[in-house]
Amino acid sequence: MANRITIDPITRIEGHLRIDVEVDNYAVSNAWASCTMWRGIENILRGRDPRDAWLFTQRFCGVCTTVHAMASVRAVEDALKLEVPLNAQYIRNLILIAHALHDHIVHFYQLSALDWVDILQIPKADPAATAKLAESLSPWTRNSRNEFKAAQDRVNAVASSGQLGIFMNGYWGHPAMRLSPEVNLLAFTHYVQALEYQRKALQVVGILGSKTPHIQNLTVGGVANAIDLDSPSALGMAGLENIRVLLDEVVRFINEVYFVDVCAVAAMYPDWFKIGSGVKNYLAVPDLPLDSAGTAYDLPGGYIVNGNIAGVHPFKTASDKDFREAVSEDVTHAYYQGEKPLHPWVGETDPAFTGWNGEQKYSWVKAPRFNGQPMQVGPLAQVLIGYAQGHPLTRKYADLAIGKVGAIGGIHVTPEMLHSTLGRHAARAIRAAMLAELAQKHWQLLADNIAKGDYTVHNQPVFSSGEVEGVGTHEAPRGTLSHWIVIKDEKIKNYQAVVPSTWNASPRDRSGAHGPYEASLLHTPLARPEEPLEVLRTVHSFDPCMACACHAFDPSGREIAKVKVL
Amino acid sequence: MKKVLIGGIGNVLLGDDGVGPYVVRLLAACYEFDEGVEVADLGTPALDLIDQISAKDAVILIDSIMTEATPGTITLYRKADIMCHHPAVRMDPHSPALVDTLLSADFFGVAPADLLLVGITYGSFDAGCNLSPPVKASLDQALAEVLRELDRLGVEYRCRKHPAELGIWWTAAEKMEFPLAT
Repeated sequence: MANRITIDPITRIEGHLRIDVEVDNYAVSNAWASCTMWRGIENILRGRDPRDAWLFTQRFCGVCTTVHAMASVRAVEDALKLEVPLNAQYIRNLILIAHALHDHIVHFYQLSALDWVDILQIPKADPAATAKLAESLSPWTRNSRNEFKAAQDRVNAVASSGQLGIFMNGYWGHPAMRLSPEVNLLAFTHYVQALEYQRKALQVVGILGSKTPHIQNLTVGGVANAIDLDSPSALGMAGLENIRVLLDEVVRFINEVYFVDVCAVAAMYPDWFKIGSGVKNYLAVPDLPLDSAGTAYDLPGGYIVNGNIAGVHPFKTASDKDFREAVSEDVTHAYYQGEKPLHPWVGETDPAFTGWNGEQKYSWVKAPRFNGQPMQVGPLAQVLIGYAQGHPLTRKYADLAIGKVGAIGGIHVTPEMLHSTLGRHAARAIRAAMLAELAQKHWQLLADNIAKGDYTVHNQPVFSSGEVEGVGTHEAPRGTLSHWIVIKDEKIKNYQAVVPSTWNASPRDRSGAHGPYEASLLHTPLARPEEPLEVLRTVHSFDPCMACACHAFDPSGREIAKVKVL
Repeated sequence: MKKVLIGGIGNVLLGDDGVGPYVVRLLAACYEFDEGVEVADLGTPALDLIDQISAKDAVILIDSIMTEATPGTITLYRKADIMCHHPAVRMDPHSPALVDTLLSADFFGVAPADLLLVGITYGSFDAGCNLSPPVKASLDQALAEVLRELDRLGVEYRCRKHPAELGIWWTAAEKMEFPLAT
């Protein structure tokens, strides 16, 4: 007889992820992913000036503000066939990279590491042995016995007070926790250090974007950064040097800490290379353009069907015909009106709330489909698609990770094993290492171009009467993001955002096919169904984000979460 | 000189959730502050709020709240009133709410000594850029609560002779009203 478990965080925030699973004989036998709040934000954009759209779209989500700003200006530029000057491309690319590095660091350490790291094992660790282990793994200079001792003291203070504070809701002592006390301490110490380095990455976004959150420097056709080598108020030598120093520190943290930690943790949980695969159709768009017209990119895109890596289909551009014609959204199981799947340019967002019903409608997330198929998006998709195309930078860091996990764990690791919960974490670390290298490359490209005397940052948009359509894409930290715009007589006629978590958190479609979260949870073993740590591990590996929360404080809520076992 | 953050929290596209950003923009338009005071529209920052509140002597946040009270009712919360709540299970990066942010900042040793949340009970979170009438009617009082807290903290502020541009770009053109003119 199957048990039903509902994980519904009572977050003081409207609009979050809810997971329902059926458990049969200590394994997941069925799963539903749903979002608990209606968005409908796109309707606000109708009738507005397309040049203003990005200011609104960057308020879709408070965590990923910049990505929605960027996809929006790109959508308008695509509709107007407007090129973007080189300086603007490089500045945008640096902002996107810095934001992504910030996001990947926060995701691993703040939002998922404690699924694998047991805080209550830390008091048992020997800081000296931890330092010795750390030295064998990485040249990181902050791996000293003193750093580990200080982090351990913090945990001891919290543990002995009986007030676990921020750590009160972990599944500590769960049988699925397997790390030695020393590895727990190692990872936890880096959790503390990560706070400083994610902030440095965000400072780069702030310098280039004038402000964070909510960058101010974008404009349709380029950026609004004045470039002047000698003026302190414009982007000049001092600003560039600031950015270079910050990036160097973040790059070192990525290579010597984050990348190594992911490999070490993965090596100690080899079972999790066999759990959590789910949908093996993958989608990624090319990003980090290298020219004004957007014909060459530093990150490759394409798609893979049914795990057939050798049969990868590349996309030539960020708004490739094969992409723009293949996307539709199905609302069979979502709380919206409508019958047929619709292309985003003719997409509708009319609510039809029914309450949760797993057989019928159960989510505010639509089901996006690519040629009718559910697709997994995110770093794993990007890494597999790049690897399949023989993309040198992807191969470099993917092979490095595969070798490192194998060496630490004494196991044989193959690219096929990346179709898994741990594969998603590994791919995110691989992508972070790629982006770290590209951060320095794009900094140099920008500095060299300015040194040549090119100060151009903007091309003027020109609107004509009549109707035009555009799509703006960005390979965001959580995967393929696309904004779809229809412009009529200089005003927005329709606007739809198909966000990464919509692809991954998609409900079933009309044919009953599961979305990626749902499919990845099937067959997951659960040691203690009333403490569904294993479900959280797989859900967190996607880096879920229900873009668009509201932020109200609810002073009545004292529950940690509703984990309901029926 | 005290380092103080006055931060408006909320999503400006979701009706009354935009009240926090609205109040801080009113403040910035109508008043000048000591050098150490930062007035910021923070959006819906989740864990990034840790960076915003760290290394401050005092923090004043303005946010919509969900209570049984009549929409527009203002309730004040101190740091201890918030930290006594339990953190949420982190399903996604939005899950870490104010409680989690404060508990994290406290663990990392960067939490401000003083924190006041000026909470305004919401009327509607439906997608849209305007505040509901009862929440709009509470703006003057919300502003007054922020100023009262600055008085308590001994932080100076001055009424601008000529209000600066309101900067509430997300609503339809608003007629500038000058609140609390003294």
